Amino acid sequence: MLRIAQKEELQKMIDGFLADYEVIGPRELPGKGIFYQPITNAQDLYLGERFAIEPVKKFFFRPSEYLFEGGLKEGSEFLEGIPLAQNKRMIIGVRPCEARGLALLDKIFNTEYKDEAYVSLREKTILVGLSCQAPGKDCFCTSIGGSPVQARGMDALIFSAGSKYVIEIITDKGKDIFDTCPKEPDKEEIKAWESLKEKSNAALRKKIKIPESLDNIFESGYWGKVSSACISCGVCTYLCPTCHCFDLVDEERKKLRCYDGCAFSDFTLEASGGNPRPTKMERYRQRVFHKFDYFKKNFGEHLCVGCGRCIRHCPVKMNIAEIVDQAPV
Amino acid sequence: MSEELKNKAKELLTNKKVDLIIGYQRAADGVLAAPCFIDSQDDAEKLIWDSYCVYNLASYLKDFPAKRKGIVVKVCDLKSITVLLQENQVKREELLIIAASCPGVIDEKRLNPLDQQAQEIVFAGKCKTCKTITPAYYDILINEPQKNDKLSEIGQDEYEPVRKLEAKSIEERFKFWESEFSRCIRCYACRQICPLCYCPKCVAEQITPGYFSKGVNLEGNLSWNITRAMHLAGRCIDCGECERACPVGIPLRDINKKIEKEIKELFKYEAGLSVEQKPLLSCFDKSDPEDFIK
Ligand code: SF4
Ligand code: SF4
Ligand code: SF4
Repeated sequence: MLRIAQKEELQKMIDGFLADYEVIGPRELPGKGIFYQPITNAQDLYLGERFAIEPVKKFFFRPSEYLFEGGLKEGSEFLEGIPLAQNKRMIIGVRPCEARGLALLDKIFNTEYKDEAYVSLREKTILVGLSCQAPGKDCFCTSIGGSPVQARGMDALIFSAGSKYVIEIITDKGKDIFDTCPKEPDKEEIKAWESLKEKSNAALRKKIKIPESLDNIFESGYWGKVSSACISCGVCTYLCPTCHCFDLVDEERKKLRCYDGCAFSDFTLEASGGNPRPTKMERYRQRVFHKFDYFKKNFGEHLCVGCGRCIRHCPVKMNIAEIVDQAPV
Repeated sequence: MSEELKNKAKELLTNKKVDLIIGYQRAADGVLAAPCFIDSQDDAEKLIWDSYCVYNLASYLKDFPAKRKGIVVKVCDLKSITVLLQENQVKREELLIIAASCPGVIDEKRLNPLDQQAQEIVFAGKCKTCKTITPAYYDILINEPQKNDKLSEIGQDEYEPVRKLEAKSIEERFKFWESEFSRCIRCYACRQICPLCYCPKCVAEQITPGYFSKGVNLEGNLSWNITRAMHLAGRCIDCGECERACPVGIPLRDINKKIEKEIKELFKYEAGLSVEQKPLLSCFDKSDPEDFIK
């Protein structure tokens, strides 16, 4: 289902959403980049082509989440869950790769095992996407099942078309919020929208090939070579829309779940002092295998959406796309 | 200049003067540079040297213990090697320092990530106030007169951003840092990239006892960032790598520079000037100010 709105009309709609929802969207911090933050006014939104440094993952699988609190209170035991999300939220301006990232995270946190904190945040949130018309040089979503105009995981997807926006409505949730926008695009406008989609797809130039399986090269010297520049920081894992490893930490009487990542040297450190992934070679190989081999075997698709964040923000320009593309299978 | 570097590298590897050379190669995107580790003559062809060579490669020295390492350095990078030598973290006899005269490096953060082509070069903040492009010592000098001799705008006040912050009230300053640190994601890239952050177990990772919250919250973020900066007091040589590595744009150099400035004023000490210099925090001088003892 398609709708069309003038820029001002969309802004008005967004201002309307603010009455019922907590609205989050990309904002530009001068000299720093684009960050998703709550907005108080449609004018706050940055709906240009640059994308946020951190993906929307952090609003669902949060960097640190208090899971429960327990211990002794006035002589007797207590255990309290932390209250789950109650308020309705809307995130506007989500990119196709990030929304797809959430669809992949659902496979972890919302299928067999239901993670209450994650699920409640997912249920309370409406996702309104924004298509990409000028993908960056590190984007490679079309090589891995995505595209700059894909709507998977979203409730609605907005396309910026000159002075207007075309709104593609995907789910009932999306229909509900955009029922204030009655105008449907005419034939001409639909044609223009279709050619815009084609153009966006063509603007994405980076293509890579992904091997069927990496099984045969687990022991290859390749991993030592390609991982030598890695400094074992957490940038790639924390900024990745699909990475989801965490650590459980006790702080006071609370159980805290914090991001963790396979890049860190103590990620697999055991209490005995042993560490099955002692060097960056094992750690980096794990990252690649989890994304491009294991996950596909377990869940039917790769655990990477080709957003390029880990390439763009790696302090030493490690390039997972090239590394996978050139893997000596 | 890259040619000269390549030839030297080949020579060093053929004559077995070094086991490997830590240098720069073109990144996969064809524009930027990336660190590389060269151990054969053929691979030496990859070496490059230009304004995209932003990284301070000294942080890789610890990856190759007991090897004879050639390392390509800029003047600022060399200072961090000086501190590592001072603190006995590397052996001089294992090092072959290839100093390259510096064209100034780019400010990566100012590059437009959407632009698929090479862009006009905007120099990094540190380069704009760099005092000299001549390295203090080296084993091999790759020298070429730089066309950008105007790069270091000598006379420009390197502490200008710090002074601006100092002029604010305590409340304003706290608000400023609170908002900056609120973006910290605790990825520890600032620590990992730093050539002088080499503790085998960082205070941030200790859990028995935990020194500060692992949570991404004001307490944890503030504690982490202040701890990081304080552990580099009198040691940081302002290569600016932490600020460059920080994905969320926290102005870490401003904190480092503030500490550097205080130290200069209090102790007339500057880090990384010579290997013979005693490390600031492990020596005592009768003339050290002590009016803080009440
Ligand atoms: S690949 Fe890059 S971002 Fe990831 S851990 Fe290594 S250095 Fe950090
Ligand atoms: S692995 Fe890199 S490119 Fe793939 S989804 Fe994660 S951050 Fe994006
Ligand atoms: S200051 Fe920046 S680089 Fe350091 S831990 Fe925080 S986000 Fe990471």
